[in-house]
Amino acid sequence: MKKILYILLALLFVFQLNAQNSLFEKGNQFYTDQKYNDAIAAYEELLGTGVESAGLYFNLGNAYYKTGKMTPAILNYERAKLLSPDDADIQFNLELANQHVVDAIEAIPQVFFVRWWNNLIKSKATDSWATYSIVCFIALLLLLGLYVFSPNGSLRRLGFWLGIVFLAGSITTFVFANKQKNRLVNHNFAIITHPSATVKSSPSEGGTNIFLIHEGLKVQIIDQLGNWYEIRLADGNQGWLPSETMEKI
Amino acid sequence: MNEKRDMIRKIILLLAFALTTAGSFAESTQFTMSAPNVVRSGEQFRLSFTLNDSGSDLQLPDLSNFEILMGPSTSQSSSFQMINGRTTQSVSFSYIYVLRAKAEGTFTIRPASINVNGKVFQSNSLEIQVVKGQQGQAAPQGGSQQGQQNQQSQQQENVSADISKDDLFVKVDITRNNVFKGEQIIATVKLYVSPNVPVRGFNDVKLPSYEGFWTQDIEVPNQISFAREVYDNKIYQVGVMKKTILFPQQTGTIKIDPFEITCIVQQRIRQQRSFFDDFFDNYRNVEARVTSTPVYIKVKDLPPAPASFYGAVGSFNYTADIDKEKLRSNEAATLKITVTGTGNLKLIEAPKVEFPTDFEKYDPKTSDRVNASDNGLSGSKTFEYLFIPRYAGEYTIPAVVFSYFNTASQKYETRSAGPFNIHVEKGDDDQNATVMSSISKEDVRFIGKDIRFIKQNQQKLTIKGHTFFGTTGFYLVYLIGILLFAAVYFVYRKKARENANLALMRNKQANKVARKRLKEAASFLKNNKAEEFYESVLKAFWGYLSDKLAIPVADLNRDNASSTLLSRQVQQETIEEFIRIIDDCEFARYAPSAFSGTIQDVYDRAASVMGKLEKQIK
Repeated sequence: MKKILYILLALLFVFQLNAQNSLFEKGNQFYTDQKYNDAIAAYEELLGTGVESAGLYFNLGNAYYKTGKMTPAILNYERAKLLSPDDADIQFNLELANQHVVDAIEAIPQVFFVRWWNNLIKSKATDSWATYSIVCFIALLLLLGLYVFSPNGSLRRLGFWLGIVFLAGSITTFVFANKQKNRLVNHNFAIITHPSATVKSSPSEGGTNIFLIHEGLKVQIIDQLGNWYEIRLADGNQGWLPSETMEKI
Repeated sequence: MNEKRDMIRKIILLLAFALTTAGSFAESTQFTMSAPNVVRSGEQFRLSFTLNDSGSDLQLPDLSNFEILMGPSTSQSSSFQMINGRTTQSVSFSYIYVLRAKAEGTFTIRPASINVNGKVFQSNSLEIQVVKGQQGQAAPQGGSQQGQQNQQSQQQENVSADISKDDLFVKVDITRNNVFKGEQIIATVKLYVSPNVPVRGFNDVKLPSYEGFWTQDIEVPNQISFAREVYDNKIYQVGVMKKTILFPQQTGTIKIDPFEITCIVQQRIRQQRSFFDDFFDNYRNVEARVTSTPVYIKVKDLPPAPASFYGAVGSFNYTADIDKEKLRSNEAATLKITVTGTGNLKLIEAPKVEFPTDFEKYDPKTSDRVNASDNGLSGSKTFEYLFIPRYAGEYTIPAVVFSYFNTASQKYETRSAGPFNIHVEKGDDDQNATVMSSISKEDVRFIGKDIRFIKQNQQKLTIKGHTFFGTTGFYLVYLIGILLFAAVYFVYRKKARENANLALMRNKQANKVARKRLKEAASFLKNNKAEEFYESVLKAFWGYLSDKLAIPVADLNRDNASSTLLSRQVQQETIEEFIRIIDDCEFARYAPSAFSGTIQDVYDRAASVMGKLEKQIK
């Protein structure tokens, strides 16, 4: 059933592809002609058809940046980064846009290997890790064949040990891919879109005001209660905010 | 006849005149009419004409509004000058009439004309204002003043009280009192003196500070000249003390501080009535301090200015040009911007010029030539931008835009000049050499910071949240891999098993085959065919070993056979015995003369080794 759905969607894609690409090019043309508002409209229209790509989010972010709307620009750069974490252009523009964010948040320093580990996971997109996993798996099978079929003792040993390495590699990258996929699907991060938002101690208007944050800031969503999200900043502070003050990445 | 003589006389006169006063011919004839600009009705005044040449036939204009009391009285003055042997002569004739005004009002006296050497010259015209005669303020020379002076002398002790505010005061006149910021206004400080107050001098002049203004003084003669003027229906002698052009620098209501001056007024005093008093009047100087009333000026702020506004308020012309359009690298050129007109010239800032970033440029040199007059500050201001292109190429300096606030239309007006195209050729070789000798790597200069440009390539658009990871296809790749591997494995296993079976069979049959060969050898033995016998013994052994050890016959030799047998736990002696038989057989075959043993002995040994091998090979 699911397969049929995919095939149908794929067919739909073929029909839509031309229209979508022309819409993308139209947006690019507007951008090149410095008609940024028209470019935004074209890109948003394309996004409205339910598709996405890192380049599309990136271009939309650029158009917002050029019109001076930093918060939607940051939001779109973050979305682009999620799809293509190893793109230097996205990283560069995101950093530039983040300079306009009012709040300066000092991230809690993590132990170096945790940091490296997280950075490693975040360095590639879901499908890159998935591809690595498959490549490792195929290598594993070849080495297994070497182990099983080779009459030579040392070659068999090499096949065995390398096979174990590739098995580990395949499993690790599979896990990485899964984690990245979760980040993409669960939308655990959000950008504050209100000019300023007062973070409460509890999910109600009557809660004590804990601190004030401003638009453009990236927060992590750790819990939800009704219309309220519990958010955590990079410096570890947490509190509750109404959902309309932010937009999920 | 008479006429002719007259002509001759005239010519002679002309010639004589031309010879003697060669120098004065250069000067043009001037004929001027002068009179006071304000008079009281009934007052006598002089109307005088001056001519720097001798003339005749003075035609008076219409003077019906005045009474001619006397005139004309003519006077002549002439002067000779001899400087460095050059003689100049100047003559001046004047005609003076004494008139009296009959009625009040403003009257225009049209130009008079005079005939000079047959040519008619016209004078200037005049305007005379006639005001109502004032009581007790008759002409200073009139008799009625005497009485007033007497009156004054009665109160001599309090002298300053004598001089009333109406007789002596200072006024600061401004041309406008509701202006824009930066718009020029002229402030004139005037001293009004009643004709009957003799002012002898000034002391202690305190000029207004004009706080909140940028000021430019207009030159006025040091010697204050008084002119008659009517103020409040009275005639005053008015002297201009100071003229200043003001440019308001702040908005709101600005107060101009009062002007203060101390005048020294001469007064006649009569302490005792003595005989001499009538002859020698005692005079004494009295100080009278006068202060003007403060003046307020309302200054409006300018409307929102365009980016190209550099503070210019007034009315201007704007030009910009470049001295060279073709030059070599490292050669200097100048862009000159000139602003001419009336307004706050001195306060105009240098317009911004966008030079190509590769150019070396210097701060603009500013010079101005201004003239402060009653019309305000006018003149020109020049900005010179020196720049040096360092690299050859085609460059463009974009248009230089200049806006000013036009006070007349109360709008910004924008002028622009350019753009300028500059063609820079590569400089001379030696110039390059100097550059080369001091080669210095330059860091790339960052001129601006901007985001990176958009992605232009075709995008692989996917459904939101869709990834290859987690799809059936993704898992299928693993499954297909495993299945392929399993298939390969099983195929291989089957083949291997088949191969193994073949070897087993050969192993099992090895003994049988060997026995058969040995039997064959035995038959050769009986027939005494030695050659064939040895051959079949060798064949039997090699074939047996090949089948038993799963080594092809072609690959077998003594060494690998013995080592393989050893690894299959065959006893050393048996191997040695086997080798010996092989050796014996080969000797017997290829060198029968060297072989000493018998065929029967070889056969027996071969049969016994074969049996041992069969038992010992594991």
